[in-house]
Amino acid sequence: MTEKPESYEVAVERLEQIIDRLDSGQAGLRETLELCREGRELVAYCAAELDAVGEGLKELNLDELAARLEGSPS
Amino acid sequence: MDLPGPFPVGRYARKLEEEMRRRARVSLIGEVTGLSRGRAQAHFELRDGEGAVPCAIWLNELEKLELPEGGLRDGSEVVIGGGPDYYRGSGQSSPSFCFRATQIRLAGEGDLLARLEALRKQLRAEGLFELQRQLARPALPKTIGVVTAESGAARRDLIAGLERRGWRGTVVWGFAPVQDRRAAPAIAAAIQDLAAQPRVEAIVVTRGGGSLADLWAFCDETLCRTVAMLRVPVVSAVGHERDSTLIDDVAAVACSTPTHAAEAAVPLDCVAARVALERSAAALRRAADGAVRARTPHLAALARGPGRALRRERLALNQKTREIRAASARGIAERLDFQRRVAGVVLERAARRAAGPEMERRRDALRRAEVALRAHEPQRTLERGYALVEGPGGAAVTSAAAATAAGRVRLRFADGGVGARVEEEEA
Repeated sequence: MTEKPESYEVAVERLEQIIDRLDSGQAGLRETLELCREGRELVAYCAAELDAVGEGLKELNLDELAARLEGSPS
Repeated sequence: MDLPGPFPVGRYARKLEEEMRRRARVSLIGEVTGLSRGRAQAHFELRDGEGAVPCAIWLNELEKLELPEGGLRDGSEVVIGGGPDYYRGSGQSSPSFCFRATQIRLAGEGDLLARLEALRKQLRAEGLFELQRQLARPALPKTIGVVTAESGAARRDLIAGLERRGWRGTVVWGFAPVQDRRAAPAIAAAIQDLAAQPRVEAIVVTRGGGSLADLWAFCDETLCRTVAMLRVPVVSAVGHERDSTLIDDVAAVACSTPTHAAEAAVPLDCVAARVALERSAAALRRAADGAVRARTPHLAALARGPGRALRRERLALNQKTREIRAASARGIAERLDFQRRVAGVVLERAARRAAGPEMERRRDALRRAEVALRAHEPQRTLERGYALVEGPGGAAVTSAAAATAAGRVRLRFADGGVGARVEEEEA
């Protein structure tokens, strides 16, 4: 796995570049397969990011958040 | 002490009193705080972000003004008219200073707008409008903070807006009163508390519509300076018009409704993003499949190579055979020998090229080609009853005229040659 993207928008931007390059038909076999692999990793990252905000709305009050953060080592 | 005097203090106090009372009468605008009513006078402080003045008004004068019930109270914005007053006191009573008000009216929209404009100008000049706008706003925050009233339509509308975007992350509520001017410190505190949480990636400040006086807390100088200096982007949606309050100027984004604020806080439409992502995944699959498929014909051609080469050679061989068959008897042996050598080389080359899994099949084909070739050897022809006629030099005699002219010829059979004499032409 290559380095984790900085953010969702960075990942999507790179993904668009990859697809543009693939659509141009200028990439050779080796580059195409390499781009496809990188693209699949980016898709997986973006899907995980979307899943993280797709499960269900959580509502906290400020003090609850503070308490939760104190309770967890992260 | 190298100063004039010493003067008796009572005389000095009287002079001061006279001087104060001579000062120009003016009108002031500010917020009422610490209002108290005595037997004869009402006292309060008139305050804004920069300072305050102690004020007093005689109760009989205040009653004549007919202010609306509860109009003069702590937190109300008022315009007062009057001038400074110094009471010099006496041998027993204490001196005091105040701004002696003779007129008071509640500040109207126009007064507030004028103050707002002055404050706006000042904050803009200090560059405070740019700071939040320069912050990067994450397209897909996982946690957002929201400052609003605990009970209110704004809260509901914001949640509905987030849901419509397909966003179901974490909302941290910083509830605060959002109604009057005194709400400003509580709002600022809630915003700061949210911004202090590392997980909070954006903050929404929202409340429904109202008059400028209702929204006045969101024009508070301290609150707006606090927002401007935060490192977390703030989305404001206060009232129903953009840029009516000062917080709209200092925030990263100003919106007209809580629904719009939801879109600004979570710029990514998660529903559309999922569709786009699926499209990207499909494009990648297509590209990967296509890359292999586009190269398949070439690979298949390479794989078919030996077979095709053999076929080509066989065709060429057949062609040669036909040529040989059509060729004259003269030189046939040498030519055949030559052709056989050529064919041998060609076949050998073809056989070498045919190396691979289909070897056996190709070998069969070669054998068939050899059999076909052998069928055309002159020896086989002689075995079938034909004879080769040779002249005196051993050259082939290919016509009756040539035979007659030669007179003597040699007949070559499969098992050997005999001499022969040509006697006469056949009728």
